[in-house]
Amino acid sequence: MSGGNAVALDPEVAAGIAEHIYEQGWTDGLPALPATAESVERMLAATARDPEEIAAQHPQLERSVTVREIAVNAVMAGCLPEHFPVVLAAWDALSADRAARGGGWQSTSGPGPLVIVNGPIRDRIGVNSAGGALGPGFRANATIPRAIGLTVRNSFGIRPRELEQATIGTVGRWQMCIGENEEASPWESLSVEAGLDPGRSAVSAMLVRTFEVVDNRSFTSHEEVLADLVDTVQRAGALIGRHSPTGIILNPEHARLFAEAGMGKQDVREWIVARAGRTEAQLQAVGKGLSHLPGGPFAPDHFHPTIADARLATLPIIVAGSSNAAMSMVFRVLGLWSGQSFPVP
Amino acid sequence: MIAEMIDPTKRPRIESAATPASAGRPRSLDGLRIGLLGNTKRNADLILDAVGAQLARRADAVTLVPRTKTQFAMPLPVDLIEELIRECDVVVIGVGDCGSCSASAVADGIALERVGIPTAVVCTDAFVDPSAAMAGLKGAPDFPFLLTPHPIANLAVDEILERGAQLADGVLHRLIDEPALVAATA
Repeated sequence: MSGGNAVALDPEVAAGIAEHIYEQGWTDGLPALPATAESVERMLAATARDPEEIAAQHPQLERSVTVREIAVNAVMAGCLPEHFPVVLAAWDALSADRAARGGGWQSTSGPGPLVIVNGPIRDRIGVNSAGGALGPGFRANATIPRAIGLTVRNSFGIRPRELEQATIGTVGRWQMCIGENEEASPWESLSVEAGLDPGRSAVSAMLVRTFEVVDNRSFTSHEEVLADLVDTVQRAGALIGRHSPTGIILNPEHARLFAEAGMGKQDVREWIVARAGRTEAQLQAVGKGLSHLPGGPFAPDHFHPTIADARLATLPIIVAGSSNAAMSMVFRVLGLWSGQSFPVP
Repeated sequence: MIAEMIDPTKRPRIESAATPASAGRPRSLDGLRIGLLGNTKRNADLILDAVGAQLARRADAVTLVPRTKTQFAMPLPVDLIEELIRECDVVVIGVGDCGSCSASAVADGIALERVGIPTAVVCTDAFVDPSAAMAGLKGAPDFPFLLTPHPIANLAVDEILERGAQLADGVLHRLIDEPALVAATA
């Protein structure tokens, strides 16, 4: 991405710059690139938005962040200019997320933003939606969410063990960005479900606390896999309060299995929401009875559904990954995500 | 050519920092209306009730005014601030027992002090860092807050009453005795 002049690379200088960035406290524990007027201008050239436009706000801290400031952090995170419109759209999505606006970055849960990319921009900038979509090795997937993390750190000023109070933290907190594998999915994409036109590039985002694998390759019917998903969804561990907002990343094989059984995405959602839950007695046995809440006290056999209702905002379902093994992921959302997707120009 | 490296950190000037974060204190709580501003965190309202009951025993003819901030990590909504100004002479705020709500409780205390309402902010002792960080951010690095041992979410009724009794003297002193704080010089 540099200017193209042939220059001798000086590894010692590079290491010195990296150390300087560490010493200033500007990075997340990994080496970061230096932002310069020139590199920030290259980033800004990738968007039509005004560099001084406010693109992210934190009401409690009375802090607002401009497009230019996000560009600085995107450079430092290792983004290419063509990644920048996705970074900005991710901030649009996070600005609509009640948990992100309302203290989620400081939470003891230590959640990270799960950034989901739909549409042709995935191929254009190399967002991985297939094998290893959540894993390492793909620059767009790794640097786009890291740009968000550096913006939270540097622009909002939310740093670990200061304003940020994560109890244990979340693995890969600033590393969660996937494309939806639309080509291998039997269904409409997340952004289409959220109301955008098919073929439109779009970003959705939500704060995620953890991922739990549902590895089921031995199924003989779709209902077995659905029941396996329910078993993980209704696990009491993630429950805080009455409901446990949840999402699912289905691998293409599980998604096709459901589609071949005649189920649409909404059918899958309704099947799971109707069955996932615990009785008051089961919750009481793990110290999580809900009888203190409005509507209580509850009879021991009263059924508490894990998820409030079957909507996009309460149970997002995304198809991603490779078709090489039938394993899916259940993830836990902090608060309710917006249920909206945001276009990438 | 050597390019200059850009400092990515933001050093905002917080405009409200110019106003001192300390309201004038009454001589006693006698006859005053004491707001109890809960934040929906589990047991927070019960602890504030217990503190209120203790304050009512330490002063004559107080009125307890329980109120709730429904979004524990957000700034106080304007209408709630106006309601507190109208209906309370002093306000006890709490309980900050999480990363965002502890900082937010301190921010609310500072906001109310700046409109002339003496406050006592209660956080749990696990969240000294974000509470102090918020005080600094709001231009009042020495803003006092009271601490109660973490956690509070699983306290039984008698333990909640005990917390109220433990906190009451500190809250009382904070509401009537606190000398004015010096505004941040930054």
